[in-house]
Amino acid sequence: MRPFAFQKMNNAAEALKDKKAEAQFIAGGTNLVDLMKKHIAQPEALLDVSSALPKDIAVSGRGLLIGVMARNTDLTLNKDILARYPLVARAVLAGASPQIRNMASVGGNLLQRTRCPYFYDVSTPCNKRKPNSGCGALHGAERMSAIVGYNAQCVTVHPSDLCVALAALDAEVKIMTREKKEKSISFRDFHKLPEATPWKDNTLPENALITHVYIPENPFHQHFAYLKLRDRTSYAFALVSVAAALHLENGKITAARLASGGVAHKPWRWYEAEEFLKGKAPSAEVFAGAAERVVKGIKPLAGNAFKVPMLKGAVETALENCITQESYKQ
Amino acid sequence: MKIIDTCGAPPPADGRVEAREKVTGSGKYAAEYPVEEVCYGVFAVSTLAAGKLKSVKVEKAKEAEGVIEILTHLNKPVVSGFSDETKIRESRLGLAVFHTDRIFFKGQPIALVVARTLEEATYAASLVEGEYEAGPFELDFDKARRKATLASTGREKGSPEAWSQAAATVEAEYTIAAEIHNPMEMHATIAHWVAADRLKLYDKNQGVNNVQRTVGRVFEIPAENIEVFSEFVGGGFGSGLRVWSNTLAAAMAAKMVKRPVKLMLTRPQMFMLTGYRPASWQKVKLGADREGRFLGGWHQAMNGTSTYEDFNEWITGVTRLIYHIPNLKTEGALVPLNLSTPTWMRGPGDCTGDFAIESAIDELSYVLNMDPVALRLKNTAIDKHPNNGLPWSTNYMNECIETGARMIGWEKRPSKPLQLLEGDWATGYGMAVGAWNAGRGYASAGIVMQKDGSVSVRTAMTDIGTGTGTGMRNIAHEVTGIPKNRITIELGHSSLPAAPSQGGSTGLSSVSGAVVAVSNDLKTRLAEYAAGINPAFQGLKADEVQLTDKGIALKTNPGAVVSYHQIWEKNDLKSLELEASSGPGEERQKFAFCSTSAHFAKLRVNRRTGRVKVEKYVCVADGGKIINAQAAANQMSGAVTGGIGMALMEEMLIDARVGGLIANDLAGYHFAVNADTPVIEVAFINKPDVNINPSGAKGLGEVGIIGVAAAITNAIYNATGKRLRDLPVTPDKIIA
Ligand SMILES: Cc1cc2nc3c(=O)[nH]c(=O)nc-3n(C[C@H](O)[C@H](O)[C@H](O)COP(=O)(O)OP(=O)(O)OC[C@H]3O[C@@H](n4cnc5c(N)ncnc54)[C@H](O)[C@@H]3O)c2cc1C
Repeated sequence: MRPFAFQKMNNAAEALKDKKAEAQFIAGGTNLVDLMKKHIAQPEALLDVSSALPKDIAVSGRGLLIGVMARNTDLTLNKDILARYPLVARAVLAGASPQIRNMASVGGNLLQRTRCPYFYDVSTPCNKRKPNSGCGALHGAERMSAIVGYNAQCVTVHPSDLCVALAALDAEVKIMTREKKEKSISFRDFHKLPEATPWKDNTLPENALITHVYIPENPFHQHFAYLKLRDRTSYAFALVSVAAALHLENGKITAARLASGGVAHKPWRWYEAEEFLKGKAPSAEVFAGAAERVVKGIKPLAGNAFKVPMLKGAVETALENCITQESYKQ
Repeated sequence: MKIIDTCGAPPPADGRVEAREKVTGSGKYAAEYPVEEVCYGVFAVSTLAAGKLKSVKVEKAKEAEGVIEILTHLNKPVVSGFSDETKIRESRLGLAVFHTDRIFFKGQPIALVVARTLEEATYAASLVEGEYEAGPFELDFDKARRKATLASTGREKGSPEAWSQAAATVEAEYTIAAEIHNPMEMHATIAHWVAADRLKLYDKNQGVNNVQRTVGRVFEIPAENIEVFSEFVGGGFGSGLRVWSNTLAAAMAAKMVKRPVKLMLTRPQMFMLTGYRPASWQKVKLGADREGRFLGGWHQAMNGTSTYEDFNEWITGVTRLIYHIPNLKTEGALVPLNLSTPTWMRGPGDCTGDFAIESAIDELSYVLNMDPVALRLKNTAIDKHPNNGLPWSTNYMNECIETGARMIGWEKRPSKPLQLLEGDWATGYGMAVGAWNAGRGYASAGIVMQKDGSVSVRTAMTDIGTGTGTGMRNIAHEVTGIPKNRITIELGHSSLPAAPSQGGSTGLSSVSGAVVAVSNDLKTRLAEYAAGINPAFQGLKADEVQLTDKGIALKTNPGAVVSYHQIWEKNDLKSLELEASSGPGEERQKFAFCSTSAHFAKLRVNRRTGRVKVEKYVCVADGGKIINAQAAANQMSGAVTGGIGMALMEEMLIDARVGGLIANDLAGYHFAVNADTPVIEVAFINKPDVNINPSGAKGLGEVGIIGVAAAITNAIYNATGKRLRDLPVTPDKIIA
């Protein structure tokens, strides 16, 4: 690890004032410290924001406001989340381990870097780690790579589970810029595709802080599921994951949300399938139809074609679990 | 883990001798010994798969804070045992670290940065760059194996083509990805030259005497000048049976900087520097008559090796161990790749070969429309070793199978796939068996008794988590009668009585004889002393006396006691020290020895998502007498967990474009965790093998993993009708 300075920040204003380009914020450290040990992130200074930023989870207006320093575990215990936004808790519990979830902050989870093995191995090319060095994963070990939204610059996927639920629930990311301006970025615009700048994961402006995540009120506390398929049953990143949420009135689906992890550079929403579900009575055929629409036209890489049928099966299963609430058994 | 005692007695509830040290953290693993003046070494490794190392750019690294020295092949002090090609070959170490400019694999050490702190050394090592002349390399096992030539691996029996004439035949190919041991504790060494020719090594390994001998040979100093500490070992699985570059480089660097050097591999480095189970390909041809009697078999196998050393896993050995196959041919070949040399990994060879054989037999059972249990019982070689013809001393394979079938509820197994369906889930049952030649080495053990009646039982053997120490305590207690809480155990230090490495399931089998011998010696010696105080003890043999916490007593008259206190006073003793050795003898000419296991799995497969959920797992084993039920069952459930990993997820990933491994860390390499396994039900036959050694215990470490992979894939077939012959069976293969 390269030697670095360390400072504990007291509030957001102080953190923003001290933030230079060579410095990096640190929250739980579960991602950043690993990256530093591997010489992937080499900041000159760390600004510890863990006691500088809010961590409360509170009902606010017509939604829920989550302080960015809430630990991932907090999201799985908070009674408002469990009662009104249980999909969030379910997604968090599908990720990492209890120890990591105890340390990991909400902000850090949004900003965690990819888990692509080429990104982690400095002896290989990776445009995300080293701009314009090439993409190691493309034509390489593509098993974990994207099936939508990728390009020749980068085929990696966003690793977060929490973010898949937040994308499904149309969350918003509240930030404070260097100039201390408060802004809100919709979740769908927060993470980006690789485009010509694969080294950038998201649209958070340089040197800005995340302060909160807001989840607008929604009716998805009865019919929801988070299904994560992976190479082992716990403590592994998703091959594909599906967050599904339905609202039913008089036996008909009136609102539907479907999002996936493990498929793209950002948490991915399946809008067409959501539209398809609306107005229909839930049934195996309807769910299969939605799954068809999810996978229609997907062009996987040579090394991960299996993800397409797997995704189809995962969407069907997740939708069925929304009705049977069997996702714990999956 | 749930222990089911087939003899009905509940397992004893005493813990491991080292439990307290392990739980409190006071037990010292290799890298944890405090050594004054120690500095830290970190490897920089080759980024190229093959070629020549022209130079190593160390300038930037040298300027980094805290750097003391950078060792490369260009500036190393020549180690005499590596001084020329012949000596390097004779060292039988394969890789003469820093004594060659040839690059054999990506990840090969090209420099050792020595610095004041670990962080400084790690950072500086990231600044070292090799300058190479790239050479051609091969990393594609499947491509390279097509160029390899098979050669016989054993005496051919009858006609090799006989199988094809049988009423029922199978012919299939099986492949298994390379696997990494991944013990929890990283391989590490602290090397400390206490004099010009005297070395202290705190080292993670499975045999201190082997380290002594090997390092002694390389540095050309007497083995006894090297003191090796491996008192606690955080798992080995075979990765500690050789001396690797971390040990040698630490010793080289310590000599160069004239300070103790600590070198711990990183997890990604460990993937290439301490061996692995090589990738393998097999073809099995098997034929049986209508009643299911095997008529002929032909087993071909290949395993990967390095370009600088041959490692043969002897995959086909197991085909000559479990069943009678009257016509049999076995062949093997090695496939050199630009990877480091593989090594033994839990159940080496047999575990690999068994997957193919036990899968093929399962396939045959469906061809014959015969129960796989019945098919096996018809063919198990329980009378004699099918290869050398010696009668087994004991072989309880059939009992293992029958007990396991009962425990899993085998009668509920559908005879055809796709019978037990519930939504997307299909349930199936599978079974397979495993066997391992039970060995025994020559080992010594010592005993030291104090005046207060406490004893220390000791041997140089390491305990890699197998429970050797606990087993030794139990044996000493059983033979002498001394209460367990008065017995302490000392292990893993080269000045203790010599013992072979802990490997091949021979640990307890080897050392138990010595512990029995020295325990008996203690009794006879104390009886002699006692006779000087009470003539009733005159001329008594070991089995006529009993030791208690206070003194020595007559078995026939437990009231007649001579206290240790009396003996010590009368003879002016400080402590009583004895040592005894024991090893295999002519019983090996009369009998064959094996441990056996039967594996039964009931699992669910989701046909839509590819998930496999093992619902019930039963493992019944014969390891002779079970010295400590908990430690033994722990070995089995650990082995089964390893086998589930082998079956479903473990895989060394190679990307030929980057010249080597990718995802070589614990995020990229999955082994099974608790969520992947049910409560594993373990049962033992628990009958002593009276010929193998005085304790009656055969080994257990390997046999628990042999058979697991086939039991799982056979159950997947029974559930889904998909025959999966390529491990690991990840979800994509299920839905393909
Ligand atoms: C072994 C392992 C397994 C894992 N498995 C999973 C999994 O299955 N699913 C999953 O979703 N996640 C998984 N994770 C990732 C884990 O969720 C993240 O590491 C964690 O959420 C990061 O949070 P942190 O607070 O520790 O972030 P840090 O490491 O402290 O920071 C991460 C990044 O966020 C920036 N940052 C943090 N807070 C702010 C802020 N308020 N404003 C601006 N920038 C900020 C930091 O500068 C840094 O760049 C795993 C991690 C590990 C180590």
